[in-house]
Amino acid sequence: MIYVVDVNGHRYTVELRDGAAIVDGESHRASLQTVSGTPVRIVTVGDAVHRMVLRERASRGRYRLWLDGHRYEAEALDSRARAIRDMQASTGRQAGPAPLVAPMPGLIVQLRVKAGDTIAAGDGLVVMEAMKMENELRAVAAGRVRAVHVSAGTIVEKGALLVELE
Amino acid sequence: MFDKVLIANRGEIALRIVRACRELGVGSVAVYSDADATAPHAREADEAVHIGPSPSRESYLRADRLIDAARRTGAEAIHPGYGFLSERENFAREVVEAGLVFIGPPASAIAAVGSKTAARALAGTANVPVVPGTTEPLRSVHEASEAAQRLGYPVLLKASAGGGGKGMRVVRAAVELAGALEAAKREAMASFGDDAVYVEKYIAGPRHVEIQVLGDAHGTMLSLGERECSIQRRHQKMIEEAPSVAVSPELRRRMGETAVRMAKAAGYVNAGTCEFLLDANGEFYFLEMNTRLQVEHPVTELVTGLDLVQWQIRIAAGEKLPQQSAIAEPRGWAIECRITSEDAGNDFLPSTGVISFLRVPGGPGVRWDGGVGAGSEIGLHYDPLLGKLIAWGDTRDAAIARMRRALLELTIVGVETSRDFHLRVMDDAEFQRGAIDIQWLERRLPSLTAGGGMPEGEVAVAIAAALLAESERAGRLAAPPRGGTATTGGDGAWREAGLRDGLRSL
Repeated sequence: MIYVVDVNGHRYTVELRDGAAIVDGESHRASLQTVSGTPVRIVTVGDAVHRMVLRERASRGRYRLWLDGHRYEAEALDSRARAIRDMQASTGRQAGPAPLVAPMPGLIVQLRVKAGDTIAAGDGLVVMEAMKMENELRAVAAGRVRAVHVSAGTIVEKGALLVELE
Repeated sequence: MFDKVLIANRGEIALRIVRACRELGVGSVAVYSDADATAPHAREADEAVHIGPSPSRESYLRADRLIDAARRTGAEAIHPGYGFLSERENFAREVVEAGLVFIGPPASAIAAVGSKTAARALAGTANVPVVPGTTEPLRSVHEASEAAQRLGYPVLLKASAGGGGKGMRVVRAAVELAGALEAAKREAMASFGDDAVYVEKYIAGPRHVEIQVLGDAHGTMLSLGERECSIQRRHQKMIEEAPSVAVSPELRRRMGETAVRMAKAAGYVNAGTCEFLLDANGEFYFLEMNTRLQVEHPVTELVTGLDLVQWQIRIAAGEKLPQQSAIAEPRGWAIECRITSEDAGNDFLPSTGVISFLRVPGGPGVRWDGGVGAGSEIGLHYDPLLGKLIAWGDTRDAAIARMRRALLELTIVGVETSRDFHLRVMDDAEFQRGAIDIQWLERRLPSLTAGGGMPEGEVAVAIAAALLAESERAGRLAAPPRGGTATTGGDGAWREAGLRDGLRSL
């Protein structure tokens, strides 16, 4: 099977065949094994041994993982699925800015914006308190505030919708 | 010596004190809230007493319940650890009035230096240099504005009762003052129940260097040398080391004498720390005195060979310290990384969850002072410190190399942690040269937390991801029976068995 793998924004073609992984034309013996009773997996490439922990499987073929203590994001799709997803990405509708959701449970201390405000990337939107520290949640992209769904003093759960943007 | 000590704290420091008690042959009593019923500190102590619901103010901050627990279990002394009630004058007094021993300074010494304004006033009389600023809490924005104008911007707002960066704000221009004052007061009130805030001149580019002092009840006050804690984010220390690259033996002696003078002026007994700002010219300014054991005490322990927690207990039991002349220059170098449940890749947002796997590093020169284990639930009730990783080496370079190695071994699964961040700092050329100050981290944060991974690891990651996708495809990932394999080769079972044998200690 041939996989197209994006790792931290770089693309690799990996063909798995007869115990070997052929990466961009270069062949390596490779294996992946779990270590019993632990979430650690051992990745071998040739004789090299790497320790890997899967942090999250975001969707099919999409992984956030640690390898030898460093974080990576990787997406491995077979070449057909890759082609379909790339096509969707280039022709798909342009999504608006993602809404701001609570990254953790906590207390809303202050709202820095109201509906209708124009914001720039990096602007503080909401101040939340968790673990006794105030954390400012900032806009990742420029836009306009469509609606604010919380008020100061509210306790919110992780993932709660705080501010809708457009 | 005491027969039994009650530990009025939780997490790694409670466990640290349990260990000291056990080594001294002293019984230990832990206390725990609902959330900590099965926490490591509660299960490692000789006895454990439930003191209330999970919120700190209903458990770890309830002096009455802690004193009752000590009485009930027959503990003769209370060790407050750090945080919680450790620096409350009233608590120290109530413990003594209940006929128990407070393992820490006398209430009068906490009062003398406990609030930053009182400490600054005392420093003035003890000939201890301080950063220019107000000595009285600010009563209004107007008063703050006048003081800031007089000192000249930038200025620093600080909570009088504060510590750990809570209630602290840098103000660079008059227009920011009102908002910053409001935020500092709010944080101070939420964290300490006291919204008193004062203002001082902001000194750019200094190092944070602190002196550990240790005094007994017989008039001996020792300086145990410095720790450098310049690696801070939002005034929270993240990495500490001893000694400091910026401190010569001569400067160490002068700073030590100054700290001892301050401690004596306060009538201090037991372990305490004088924090200083050290500027590029070797001038130092007293910041505050912490009237308790510090989080970062292990680095001092490793370079002096003294067990500070044992000494705290021995001093409280009336024992005598050796003389200053018996304290040698620091031996080797020690570094501590605070491993917190914060996601460095996401602006250090707190991460919650259950720790499903914990592998603690080992080998030469490595110490782990932890407070969590596999199964620990990391919630939002308490601070995010999971444990402290400490490495010792004969030189600073050796200590850094050892820390780097230990960080690679440390594996915590279930919550995001600050480990990757620490690894990047250890790999940083400026940090390796010791070219740091208290603004270094804020300045370098984008490059220390950007993206992820190392380019040379990408091929292995690409292969691993393809193999994961392949095994997912085969439906094996969802439910590996035990130690399943996803190798594409025919020798997988053999290899797996071999690896399992070789890695049994994991």
